[in-house]
Amino acid sequence: MSLADNLADTARPEPRAPGAFRANRSFGARFSEWLDRHSRQFFITPAVVLILIFSIFPLVASLFLAFSRTRFRAGGYKSRFVGWDNFTKQIFGSEQFHFLGTFTSISLLGWAFGLAVTAWVIWAMAGYVRRSFTVIGFIGRLFPALMSICIAWMFAATLLSGNQFGTLGVTLFYVFVGCGVQFLIGLGLAFLCSQPIRGKNFFRVTFFIPLMITPIGVGYIFRMMADTSKGPFAEIWQWAGLGNFSWATDAWAARTFVIIGDSWQWIPFIFIILLAAFENVPKDYVEAAQVDGASSWQIFREITWPQVMPVAATVMLVRVIEAFKIVDLPNIMTSGGPGIATESMSLHSFYAWRALDLGQSAAIAYLLLFVTVVCCVSFFNLVVLNRVRG
Amino acid sequence: MAYRAPRIEDRGALAKWFEPPAIGAMAPGTKIIVYSLLAIWTLFVLFPIYWLLITSFKSAADVNNGPFFIPFVDYQPTLQAWRDLFVLDWQDTIRAYLNSMVIAVCATALCVLIGSMAAYALARITYRPNLVTILIFVAIAAGVIYTAFALGFDWRVSAAVGAALFFFLARAIGRRYKIHLGNGDILFWMISQRILPPVVVVIPVYMMFQSVGLLDTHIAIILTYAVINLPIVVWLMYDFFDSIPKDLEESAQLDGATRIMTFREIVLPLSRAGLAAVTLLVIILCWNEYLLALFLSTTEAQTMPILVSAMNAGERGILWWTMSAVIIVMIIPVIAMAAVLQKFISKGILLGAVKG
Amino acid sequence: MVLKLKHALACTALTAGLVAGPQIAAAEMAYEGVTINILTRPGPVIAGRIVERGEEFKEMTGAEVRVAEVPFAEIFQKLITDWSTGTNSVDVGVFASGWGVELVDADLVENLDPYIENDDKIDVADIAPYFRDFNQKVSGSTYFITLDGDFQMLYYRTDVLADAGLEPPKTWEDYLEVAAAIHGTDMNGDGEPDYGSCIFKKRNAQSYFAVQSMAASRVQTKGTAEGLYFDPETMKPKINNAAWKKAFELYKATGEFGPPDELNQDIGDTRGLVTSGRCGLMIDWGDIGPLSIEEGSAIRDKVGAVIMPGSREALNVETGELEQCNADLCPNATDGINYAPFAAFGGWTAAINKASDDKVKQAAYDFMSYMNQAAQSNVDVTMGWTGYNPYRNSQLDDTSLWVEAGFSQEAAENYLGAIKESLNHPNMASDFRIPGAQQYTGVVLDRELARYLAGEVTVDEALANIEEGWEEITEDFGREEQAEIYKLSLGITN
Repeated sequence: MSLADNLADTARPEPRAPGAFRANRSFGARFSEWLDRHSRQFFITPAVVLILIFSIFPLVASLFLAFSRTRFRAGGYKSRFVGWDNFTKQIFGSEQFHFLGTFTSISLLGWAFGLAVTAWVIWAMAGYVRRSFTVIGFIGRLFPALMSICIAWMFAATLLSGNQFGTLGVTLFYVFVGCGVQFLIGLGLAFLCSQPIRGKNFFRVTFFIPLMITPIGVGYIFRMMADTSKGPFAEIWQWAGLGNFSWATDAWAARTFVIIGDSWQWIPFIFIILLAAFENVPKDYVEAAQVDGASSWQIFREITWPQVMPVAATVMLVRVIEAFKIVDLPNIMTSGGPGIATESMSLHSFYAWRALDLGQSAAIAYLLLFVTVVCCVSFFNLVVLNRVRG
Repeated sequence: MAYRAPRIEDRGALAKWFEPPAIGAMAPGTKIIVYSLLAIWTLFVLFPIYWLLITSFKSAADVNNGPFFIPFVDYQPTLQAWRDLFVLDWQDTIRAYLNSMVIAVCATALCVLIGSMAAYALARITYRPNLVTILIFVAIAAGVIYTAFALGFDWRVSAAVGAALFFFLARAIGRRYKIHLGNGDILFWMISQRILPPVVVVIPVYMMFQSVGLLDTHIAIILTYAVINLPIVVWLMYDFFDSIPKDLEESAQLDGATRIMTFREIVLPLSRAGLAAVTLLVIILCWNEYLLALFLSTTEAQTMPILVSAMNAGERGILWWTMSAVIIVMIIPVIAMAAVLQKFISKGILLGAVKG
Repeated sequence: MVLKLKHALACTALTAGLVAGPQIAAAEMAYEGVTINILTRPGPVIAGRIVERGEEFKEMTGAEVRVAEVPFAEIFQKLITDWSTGTNSVDVGVFASGWGVELVDADLVENLDPYIENDDKIDVADIAPYFRDFNQKVSGSTYFITLDGDFQMLYYRTDVLADAGLEPPKTWEDYLEVAAAIHGTDMNGDGEPDYGSCIFKKRNAQSYFAVQSMAASRVQTKGTAEGLYFDPETMKPKINNAAWKKAFELYKATGEFGPPDELNQDIGDTRGLVTSGRCGLMIDWGDIGPLSIEEGSAIRDKVGAVIMPGSREALNVETGELEQCNADLCPNATDGINYAPFAAFGGWTAAINKASDDKVKQAAYDFMSYMNQAAQSNVDVTMGWTGYNPYRNSQLDDTSLWVEAGFSQEAAENYLGAIKESLNHPNMASDFRIPGAQQYTGVVLDRELARYLAGEVTVDEALANIEEGWEEITEDFGREEQAEIYKLSLGITN
């Protein structure tokens, strides 16, 4: 075994001619000794340097873009500093309807919902302050608290008051509803596949296929699938009496189709990892419980789920991060239409960028970054750390 | 069997269907439900791919007058799309295919190597970076970029001045304040890189490669892909290494093995499963990436996803048949790989992810 | 299918090339070792012909023509980044002329006037007036070379209209009447009801071109120089008025006689329906003609073309209301109907990178001129797969080439007649040709139109939003500068 040899080698230093100088040793040996002395840095430096180069520069550069109007000129750019203009335009200005939604008056239901969420968040914060208080912990919780209040009022003023919400709402819909559906189906499939069934390898490979298709391709495939006049389901569509209804003209139907496409692609990811987790649940625990006469539901809740839960939390975090960036599917299936009903924030930024409006594009991307970070960090701290790691 | 389900006599005939005959086996009723659910999902997964496959053998008229489901029965299949791809435009197709392969393989190798090294380091070595030094670094980096980008100084000069300033300030100020971060913070910082939407980084990254003359080369795309997928590798491999018992390494170190040797000879072989799974995931992501490839390549380094998008001929409509063929050609190698690696997929990610 | 045609016609192309050969032979092998990098959209359309002509050009001059292909939606982004950051991997961009103004404004495009002066073969006078005087020019100088003449026309199914005893529509009101009358009849003989009207309505596609086509005849009456979009003095948008409102409403109304998922159809989907014989009326660029004779088409010799429908009423700019046409209001009207064929998209044109080497620029110009010259282009425009539509008068005079390509004599005359009428119309409406064109129309107009079609906003809200959005963009780019360029784009000099 090479391992054993190596261990032996190091344990027993090479016999060296007496009087040999250090300098006589080969370059390779000196290099590896040098490396070993610096192994702390050696291991992590390449990753840190690469990420620094590829993240600091683009992040800072696009921050400049977000605070300016930039236009391409011969020999580079012409930038003009405009302060918070690009951001205020999204939140209060002419793009408000596009980013947040159309605001008119808030309905009774909207008031009730908004006030309820606000009260609940304040109550939770107060509870935290009474229990334990650190400045950093408080600030850390303040961001998600404020953001959830704002988002609650955004939905209260749009969805619950009969108005349309903008790309922020659409993105959150894709993330929470989409990921929720994907998680439930992925979990169910993984559970089924973990049962003693035949052809497990077949299912494992088959169910994995959609993840391997380029997202653009998935977009086009689902555009073919959803075509109501020459797609494969055209006749079923006609037969169901929906010949004159098109999913593409109805906001919620269009969003649903985007989520179906997205789920088709991403359920495999959740499935494959949860399946592994299910298979890792020790068989003897389950069998012991069966002998004790526990029902299937009890076994799932008491034995399987606690083992699977940590994996589920991690996989959902990965999935949520990716879901916030959804762009190819709505772009190809509907181009963000009907109206702006299926346009996600990433797509919003992409369209601005394509029209060479770099400032707005960067501003929207930064808003997306902010929302994503707050959501993911809260999820990480509240769910992953508290529930899982105790 | 010694085991008997309790109170079986109390249940109705239907319930018997759901009574497992033995531990670790399924009741007939459960079996039917399980298999039919799996069959439905198989259909849901495979039907779009079937449609893709038959579309690649259709002519324009077959697509437009459709839907047609079964070749030879509903319509006469034609090889037109495949001929366009591999006879008429074979140079473009083959070049894109080779580019995609080279880029995906190299980027994945680089990414997995660097990423697992970093993950191992974070799992085993305690780092205590100084927060103040980091803040100084970020401030100086922003300054350097601002002077080079907005004020138009030569970026090499700005960078050199910035580096000198950093070393001076880091020594002068950084040492006085001792607010240290931990491994967890580094890990989170690395993972958070994945949150960035690609649209934000496209233009700066383009400018970066333009200034060093690497546009439309494989190197540019390989480096970029390696970095954008680094967070995934670091994250999954960190959990994986964390779950490997430390005893072996400790005894090896007691025997005088260097850390690099331990990593190469003990840790990596033990984590083969995890590496295989992560490799598969990263190679899929590299193989399928579109936006960055579009910007970093013009002709020479163009990859397959761009070919897919190119089949949307704008006002001429979408060439569904050729596009289907391109997508199928793209899936084949990945499926082959997944079939080979499928045992690792489950075991690999599993062990690591259990730790959450 | 498209590609098969390519081979069938290769012989014709080759002959044309040989005929043209001796003319250029004077400069034989002058460009040995020069490489011209051209960036355009992928596929046989547009790019395919450039590749083939490039090979001929290489044989004549020694210059190598390399064509890089980028997905349609990303061409402009790619090009402007390449040229402005100094990457300069592209010498010639082939794209919509409307986008080019921004490049010219950024000082990235070579002025072609001196080249044209020394070129005795391009015969600029033969190019149709709109393309010669507006589309190729910015601020009075020529920056672009037209490869493809784009404007929209109305197509109708001759057999369907004849069966119903109807005339092709002259106004948009007629259009709706005809569409209503034929909607639901079987037009391709498969026993299923087909559609009265097919007009693409997908967001972020081509719908904003169609609505401008509908608005043009109500907004612009006094010739190309009047312009569709702004008051040239103040740059105040001429959008929030009764004419545009009517156009929006008409556009939505055509949806009633269209396929149910028209809201998600781009022009590719519509053309698929048209060529399979499922549409009675449609608006499109010149491509429908050549497409109708392609293999697999169900509408060979069954499709007629006329100038874009007009209007009996037009906008009174002072009041913002519509008034009945009279000699004062509509000086260019025919029989009381004001027509304004809209040069949507402007056509695929070539622009040369100012930063390329002089020798490359000259070679690039010679190649683009070669493609534009009547000897070559008159053949190219008759082939559907090239994607090139006519823009020269000589292309329209001789029907023999078209008949040779597969048209019947009657169909060729009808098609060319409609083109000629549109091309030489004094009231042809120019597409947006100022910096930010993509933002004005592709983003703001398109988005509000989509929201109106989807029922998210009323037409009044949509128009008010567009006005606000346009004003913001104008402010961003600078009102004075924009006004200057807008005036120049319309040929107004004070």
